[in-house]
Amino acid sequence: MIRFTWLQFRPQAIVALTALFAFAIVLVVTGPHLAGLYASSGITACHGGTCATVAGGFLSRLAITSPYPIVYELGIGLILAVPAIIGIFWGAPLIARELENRTFALAWTQSITRTRWLVVKLVLIGLAAMAVTEALSLSYAWWANPISKAIGLQGPYPVASEFGGNRLSLVIFASHGITPLGYAAFGFVLGTATGAFIRRAVPAMAVTLAIFAAAQVAMPLWVRPHLIPPDRTVVSGPSLVTSAGVNLGNLTATIVPGQPGAWITSSGAIASGGQRVSTVPAACVPPPPAKPPDPGRCLGSRGIREAITYQPASRYWPLQWIETGIFLALSLALAGVCFWRLGRSRT
Amino acid sequence: MNFAVEAAGLGKQYGRRWALRDCSLSIPPGRVVGLVGPNGAGKTTLLHLAVGLLEPTSGSIRVLGASPADGPAQLGRVGFVAQDTPVYARLSVAQHLRMGAWLNPGWDMEIAESRIRQLDLDPRQRAGTLSGGQRAQLALTLAIAKRPECLILDEPVASLDPLARREFLRSLMEIVAAQRISVVLSSHLIADLERVCDYLVVLVASRVQVAGEVSDLLASHHRLSGARRDASRLPANQEIIEESHTDKQSTFLVRTSDPVHDPAWTVRPVTLDDLVIAYMSRTAARERVYQPQLKVMS
Repeated sequence: MIRFTWLQFRPQAIVALTALFAFAIVLVVTGPHLAGLYASSGITACHGGTCATVAGGFLSRLAITSPYPIVYELGIGLILAVPAIIGIFWGAPLIARELENRTFALAWTQSITRTRWLVVKLVLIGLAAMAVTEALSLSYAWWANPISKAIGLQGPYPVASEFGGNRLSLVIFASHGITPLGYAAFGFVLGTATGAFIRRAVPAMAVTLAIFAAAQVAMPLWVRPHLIPPDRTVVSGPSLVTSAGVNLGNLTATIVPGQPGAWITSSGAIASGGQRVSTVPAACVPPPPAKPPDPGRCLGSRGIREAITYQPASRYWPLQWIETGIFLALSLALAGVCFWRLGRSRT
Repeated sequence: MNFAVEAAGLGKQYGRRWALRDCSLSIPPGRVVGLVGPNGAGKTTLLHLAVGLLEPTSGSIRVLGASPADGPAQLGRVGFVAQDTPVYARLSVAQHLRMGAWLNPGWDMEIAESRIRQLDLDPRQRAGTLSGGQRAQLALTLAIAKRPECLILDEPVASLDPLARREFLRSLMEIVAAQRISVVLSSHLIADLERVCDYLVVLVASRVQVAGEVSDLLASHHRLSGARRDASRLPANQEIIEESHTDKQSTFLVRTSDPVHDPAWTVRPVTLDDLVIAYMSRTAARERVYQPQLKVMS
């Protein structure tokens, strides 16, 4: 059954490997030059406070140097899209095509039970899906390593926003580490299960894409912030403006004092009575002819504080494991659904 | 001795609809059995239950004395050629044979390859580009080369042109002669079955209407014609399958194990075609009478 699975899967595997290879060539061609730019930028020799400036300079120069911004964004987009593509082209047709072309009558009347048939297919192609996605993620991480290091060094006030955020930021988190393994397995088994229910490949592909995209959006927005109970802090007075880096326009925090690299899941200003404040009081930002008062003191004197909910940078790996675990568990559950659906009393 | 296929109270329900209901039959082994019935009689459902593609909703079915698809061993004992003979369009003929070898411990590559040679098929040709007849032959080769004890074919020739149909049935006959296996072949065309079958099962609306050796069936059915006579005046040992009357004349198709001696009748033998049509139309006529009553009652 392993050999037969490979025989059927080979064309799809060749397409995937060709695409992976093409992307690897782009990385290999541009990677060393990127590393060279990093080495010659002076970051390696910096110390203390100068590092942020040098790193910021390196990133802002890189942001206008073709093709780095494009490859950077393309890579992340690809890592996020590949599990969906796998679900659509490997998962959805796996069972649906057999039912549609009626070849199930051939496949399931050989001297092999259909449970075994499904086990081998799910395990082998599932592992291939995870391997392809993780290979993509790792080779990309190797390529983007100078950029990641510079982002880490440039401190709380990013100069070049073209290069995403720190490694806990939404898309960087889902495209690095071990989460691509979870997304790949989930995408593939989701496609397979959808195909088993809809029984026609093309509609199953569309539904797979819709469900996967919904999961991909729901996870960072509504699930990931709560995977570990988040920390909370309240900052006030001058630190509200200087340390917390409040963006005075809308009173949202961009950094957490004393927590470099933390992921802020929500923040907002509250007045002394505890009610929410959405705009800076007009007295603190008078129109141009008047001399503006010190914003920190001005807000502080009105009892306005900033409440921040965040995940500290140290939780990167625990969050990675939990998120990957969730998607692997979902994959196993969906695989169970496939076995149930393929039971002989239901086909 | 085990029956090739034995069903008792067998039923399969899809939602509220019964595709097969309360079907009981025994198909003896070592024969070429024709399973004939109109479309929708439940033939495909019955055969899918026999090869384990489906599980019964009620009742039981045993093939060669064992429960279908009970495990790899039982799957290996039964060869199946499904309706419209599906094969993998993208795989070549040779790849199909390799699939057979990988998935069946009892696979005989010599049988498979010699059949492909005989059929003059190019092993490198993709199955999707084969003609309907060639595809059916490939499906038959796959079912045979696993060396089953029982071969089940679901309308294998229904979509073939007359020439391909004849070639396919000839191949089937050669296999039966060479391997002495049980064959169950469904069709709604009696002409196909006449050529190859020695045992016949007529299935209409899930029920076996008649079953038996083709030669016995032909010997025990007669067409009687003569002066008009009411059906009730026929002897008790003559079961009326079909009757038609004009003002002066009556014609009956009767089943009886005894010879017909009544000199008032002209007795003629029946063809298999007559026989099957008679049983099918008898059921249809009964349903026509029965259904209006059902409606009134409900």
